[in-house]
Amino acid sequence: MKVSLLFVIATALTMGSATLQAVDKSAGEALYKDACAQCHGPNAQGMASFPSLSGRDAEYITSRLETYRAGEKVGSNSFLMIPNATGLSDDDIANLAAFITESAE
Amino acid sequence: MSHKLVMRPLCAAIASAVIIGLPAVATANEPELSQSEVLSGLENPWDMAFLPDGTMFYTERCLGLSVRLPDGEVEHLLGMEGTDDYATTADDLVCEGQAGMNGVAIDPDFEENRTVYVYSASNMSEPRTNRVLRMTVNSDFNDVSDRTDIVEDIPYKPAATDHPFGDAGAHNGGRIRFSPEDGYLYVTTGDNHNSEIPQSPELLGGKVLRIDRDGEAAEGNKPPEGFDPRIYTYGHRNVQGITFHPTTGQPIVTEHGPWHSDEINALVNGGNSGWDPKPNMAGRGDCPDDYCGYEPNQTEGMDPKERAAYMPVTDTETYPDAMQPAWKNDGLSQGISSAEFLVGEQWGDWDGRLVVGFMGIGFGGTPVGQRINLIDIAEDGLSVNDVAEMPVPMGAARFRSLVLGPEGDLYTAVDEGSIYRITPE
Repeated sequence: MKVSLLFVIATALTMGSATLQAVDKSAGEALYKDACAQCHGPNAQGMASFPSLSGRDAEYITSRLETYRAGEKVGSNSFLMIPNATGLSDDDIANLAAFITESAE
Repeated sequence: MSHKLVMRPLCAAIASAVIIGLPAVATANEPELSQSEVLSGLENPWDMAFLPDGTMFYTERCLGLSVRLPDGEVEHLLGMEGTDDYATTADDLVCEGQAGMNGVAIDPDFEENRTVYVYSASNMSEPRTNRVLRMTVNSDFNDVSDRTDIVEDIPYKPAATDHPFGDAGAHNGGRIRFSPEDGYLYVTTGDNHNSEIPQSPELLGGKVLRIDRDGEAAEGNKPPEGFDPRIYTYGHRNVQGITFHPTTGQPIVTEHGPWHSDEINALVNGGNSGWDPKPNMAGRGDCPDDYCGYEPNQTEGMDPKERAAYMPVTDTETYPDAMQPAWKNDGLSQGISSAEFLVGEQWGDWDGRLVVGFMGIGFGGTPVGQRINLIDIAEDGLSVNDVAEMPVPMGAARFRSLVLGPEGDLYTAVDEGSIYRITPE
């Protein structure tokens, strides 16, 4: 029981630490340029069949990426977004959301 | 054919020369390229057309037709639904999904008739259609009039389907070009994710049309008996590039592949390009919304070769006489778009090369491939001798349109919102 209790405490501390950790916009920018810009555009303005992210808040970006990461379809570009989101961590998503909401035109 | 870098290291060139016993003299005459950004801040620029003095007409897919004058001034001529800063607004011209205003062409006799043409989606009829519009530009280049829709019945995808990029308005083709050889207007169209369209004798999607300036069938079109006489070739998927060989006049198109096999094809009058995505034929069963174009697996990655075997872009088993592609992009689909020939001594060894733009798309681990290719294509357009990547200064982008300007420079419109001028030095 002691081991289990320690595990729970350690997990709670880790989660708390993650929650308090500040988002890293530069990491979000690097990830965006590598994985998103080719379709959504360098300023997230949207191009061709790929939607603009301008005006979207962090909650929306986070929710969509979490949905795609879970393998759930949303719209006709899900086939592209699901594999792109599959490997994202919570931090990746938070960083991306922070960068996109600040940078999108 | 594998891609290769255009600029090879000098040491490699010398080593090769030594190995084959030739003097180590550089024979390559490949130009260095510089660029200037002609226009920026555009919204999905789609096509351009030039007058001899450098006047450039251009389209933005969801805005309309504009013109850039030689002094750099821009006039907005024909706006689409929802625009308010165009000299003339046509509320029937609509933007949805991949559809909107696409190609633009200048009448060969513009000096006399001041006529231009655009390809655009319209809700004037129900269901919507794609149309070819003809109009007159005034002497000040700040308005258009006398709109006449010379083709009104190119099919439009009216509703979403269960396919990748499956929204309404998909697969419109949309490039329009006058042939310097025969003077007719060539119009490229798309299959709308509708399996009945490409091989249909009546429906104008999945075709290349050849028409006169009134929209009537060109004299000499040879489609099969019972086909609409405006049809020059059929059995296409989504043709977004067309150009003409500078010495033979041979029309050459680029065609998007479905997760595999982008194609370059030399057109044969009356020919079938062999695209037929109908279900329950050629070894296939039922398909989502009766369109097998992305089968056998439209939502997950798989080997493009397996895809090509199951759903070929050119189905030579069903259509043994189909036109054969000159090139298939190494079996990949990467958003092949516009095509143009480089012409002029300033291009050095690239004089006569076909340039082809790729917007780039990767799926299931395939490379995205945003680039412009330099292709040494045979005069008859039936094969390629060499394929290289053009070392463009702006780097990777979604290269939507390639057009040679009147001074011989190459202009490219990119989806990122700019039109660049690429100059060989």
